[in-house]
Amino acid sequence: MKSLAVTKNILRRIGQDQRTLILIALIPLFFVLLYGYSFSGKPQHLRIILVNQDNGLASVRTAEVGRITLEMKIARQIIDGLDQELFDVVEIDDPDAARAQVEQGGTWAAIVFPQSFSHAVLNEALRVGGERTTTYGNRTVRLLPPTDATDGPSASLTLDDSNPMITSAILEGLKSTVERILAGQQRALSPDAVLQTRLLYGGSIRALDYTAPGIIGFAMTLITVMLTSISIVRERTAGTLTRVLVAPIRPWQVTLGYTTAFTGIALFQVGELFLVSTLLFHIRFVGSPAWVAVIIVLFTVGLQGIATLLSTVARNEFQAMQFLLFLLIPSLMVSGVFWPLEAMPPAMRPLSYASPLTYANTALRRVMLTGFGPSEIVFELSVLAGFAVIMLGLAIVSMRRQAFSA
Amino acid sequence: MDRVLHVTGLRKSFKGRQALSGVDLTVPRGRVFGLLGPNGAGKSTLIRILCGLLRPDAGEAYILGWRVPNARIQSQIGYMPQETALYDDLTVDQNLRFFGELYDLPRSGIRERSRELLEFVQMTDRGDQRLGTLSGGMQRRVSLAVSLLHKPRLLFLDEPTSGVDPRLRRTLWDHFARLAEEDVTVLVTTHLIEEAVRCDMLAVLSQGRLLVQGTADEIRRQTGTDDLEDAMIALQEGEAAE
Repeated sequence: MKSLAVTKNILRRIGQDQRTLILIALIPLFFVLLYGYSFSGKPQHLRIILVNQDNGLASVRTAEVGRITLEMKIARQIIDGLDQELFDVVEIDDPDAARAQVEQGGTWAAIVFPQSFSHAVLNEALRVGGERTTTYGNRTVRLLPPTDATDGPSASLTLDDSNPMITSAILEGLKSTVERILAGQQRALSPDAVLQTRLLYGGSIRALDYTAPGIIGFAMTLITVMLTSISIVRERTAGTLTRVLVAPIRPWQVTLGYTTAFTGIALFQVGELFLVSTLLFHIRFVGSPAWVAVIIVLFTVGLQGIATLLSTVARNEFQAMQFLLFLLIPSLMVSGVFWPLEAMPPAMRPLSYASPLTYANTALRRVMLTGFGPSEIVFELSVLAGFAVIMLGLAIVSMRRQAFSA
Repeated sequence: MDRVLHVTGLRKSFKGRQALSGVDLTVPRGRVFGLLGPNGAGKSTLIRILCGLLRPDAGEAYILGWRVPNARIQSQIGYMPQETALYDDLTVDQNLRFFGELYDLPRSGIRERSRELLEFVQMTDRGDQRLGTLSGGMQRRVSLAVSLLHKPRLLFLDEPTSGVDPRLRRTLWDHFARLAEEDVTVLVTTHLIEEAVRCDMLAVLSQGRLLVQGTADEIRRQTGTDDLEDAMIALQEGEAAE
């Protein structure tokens, strides 16, 4: 009951303090909006220059009528097939001018299709895939592979690869279009023909979905530790904490009161984070909200313990903020939020395993992205529970110390 | 029980600096007992030990027969710290209610007691005001009211009049005297002689040691002086000569 009085007192004071109230409500919103909008986008309207010298004609041997010339226009097909959102295509005639523009930084890439491009592509397709039939005039003819090697000039790409993100977007965009057009010419050239792929989640998980759980965990770390440590430091410097501890209330009851209040606030904020990120950015969330709540409660209770310890060492609110940065920045880097843990050098791994965000992130990811339940995250849940219990215990001890050193 | 507070051989040091070096003290019931001494004499340390906020290195302290620290003592003592130590952003009533709840007082009891106390500190009708909007003197009186909520039998006042104008100081001391009449024992620290004369009994603390204790008359007699100020000077000179 006395803990409840502490809880109610904290909530009442926050409720009356409009600035803190707005901060509590807006920080998660601000976080998720900023994050969602800056990470959900992909490169768009990349300027590339095309020089199409392809005459569109291919000369092939036939079994029936000797050598014939077909109008293929393969370069044109590729150009028209390019992703209109990804590329802003400019066509010019001078190949040297096109390359020069890339070199001068005026455009990301230049592609030059040579005159005999269609001819070279068709004959290469026949050489790899063997003969096939087509209609020529009114009759069906068999196209034969070339007798000599057809190493005719292929298209050339000049690429400004100073930005890796954009480089891979351009290469990916070009490759998929070229593959699609070539597959129309010759099945054997398409990777799909040799590799049967089954995507468990239908290829629907974006990088944004993958990083969202970690970002939510990070936001909770920031908000919870900041709010808790500042509240405690403020109570101590104002002397109210001393007054509370002179009353017949045990340190564990005070700690419990604090924890209840801040866990309530954390749950409200997580709800807000999830609501906005699913409604606005359609973040993938296929698991059970109840398990997300369990993860968040264990995680934030542990964080509050850290915050309480932090406030024992911090003389004032400013120092508390400084300590907070020391905690936050490494946790963002080592916890596998952006890069998978597998990509961390072995020397860094112990740091990752020491960071509670690692476990919160993994558990949230499993629940949100793949819909796993408690049996698949039992390890992460137990680590987080242990973290919460230990930190809460230390918080109670340090609360007692705050009383003695006040 | 006539001895509300009894202390023997209390020692406490912080990082090698002795704050209390063997203090013996006995406080009788229903008196205003002054703990007199210059800044840094160890008065606050002594009060914090007695309130259960600090653990002594050695020695024993008993309050109402229980050895400190003891959870049962906490509901019998009141503590008014040097600073206001209340929530600026809450109203006077909300402050009173919160601390009342910590003492497990029933809701209706808190309301009644708050009204009574605000009347006692002459702040009736101020209950709805936010503490931060009140003057420093008024905040000090609310602070006294809060420390009296649960009708403590022993009240610790740590420099209750520091930074207070003379008129309020007189009012506060009138309050203390009235509390003693109502059988509340008041232990008050001060470094002012003019306040010391208003105490029923005194103890003089200097550099962590208790130099003398008794009524003002007794102290004058012991030091062979005519007034308390001379007595203080004599005591300090005697200490310096040691």
